[in-house]
Amino acid sequence: MSKRIMVVDDSRLVRVQLEDTLKGTDYVVAAYCRSGEDAIEQYAVVKPDLVTMDIIMQGMDGLDAAEVILKNHPDARIVMISSLAYEDTFERAKAIGARGFIDKPFHQEQLINVFEQALQ
Amino acid sequence: MNTAMTREALEQILDQALQDVTERTAGVCLRQDDQPPGEDLCTVHITFDRGFNTSLTLCADKNLLARMARNSFHEEAVSLEDLEEFSKEYLNVLCGKVTGAMYRATQIPAHFGQPTFYHGRYEPEGQEVQFILTYSDEHSEGAQLIHHVPCSQEDGTVLDET
Repeated sequence: MSKRIMVVDDSRLVRVQLEDTLKGTDYVVAAYCRSGEDAIEQYAVVKPDLVTMDIIMQGMDGLDAAEVILKNHPDARIVMISSLAYEDTFERAKAIGARGFIDKPFHQEQLINVFEQALQ
Repeated sequence: MNTAMTREALEQILDQALQDVTERTAGVCLRQDDQPPGEDLCTVHITFDRGFNTSLTLCADKNLLARMARNSFHEEAVSLEDLEEFSKEYLNVLCGKVTGAMYRATQIPAHFGQPTFYHGRYEPEGQEVQFILTYSDEHSEGAQLIHHVPCSQEDGTVLDET
């Protein structure tokens, strides 16, 4: 059965790329959220297997949104996707319980590997 | 970016990032060339701060950006709003790749602001061109990636360097 992904990103470019990259795989995009606030609200409704979370977004950033989702749903599996990949960002993502980190622009192999690890 | 790395090293990072991001996000192959873009241009500008007090401008043929936007969004036609949205997101991804490579080279984290989009050419105030990388594609449509640094004073020092 396909794994359902909730994509949180305010970039249309990234949303289209993710959709393309996941074609023909066992993953399907179940919902899009354009902000951290929207993701917090939608998580309980969508109940995704995995969340991909951008970090830099208008309003609440992705790290703060991931922290809230994980506080409310400790079993949530969240992978951060960002073009800003510094050590302090990695460390904070790990500290709040994110299951992985993907750089933009991404490759299919890299994406699937991180998804598989996050779902183990 | 002013003194933390050589101009040649920065040119190489920008060149690799631009070619890689353009091919992967828009399916367009840009190669360095001497021919500047034409008259019908768009410009996207982004500023670096925290460690690197510089800016980057992408000035490109509108037709080239429109084709890249169509390829990326899988649309047969794009509006001016689509063009602006694509151009900003493309430069965002490009700058993420550039700052990541700069960090690996210097251990100095750079941050960049929100990109701004202009119809026509745009020259940032208080900054001067350090170098220009010029590109064209198979349709002879072109783009320039322009690296700006703060204007030098007469005694050779650099204004506003943090």
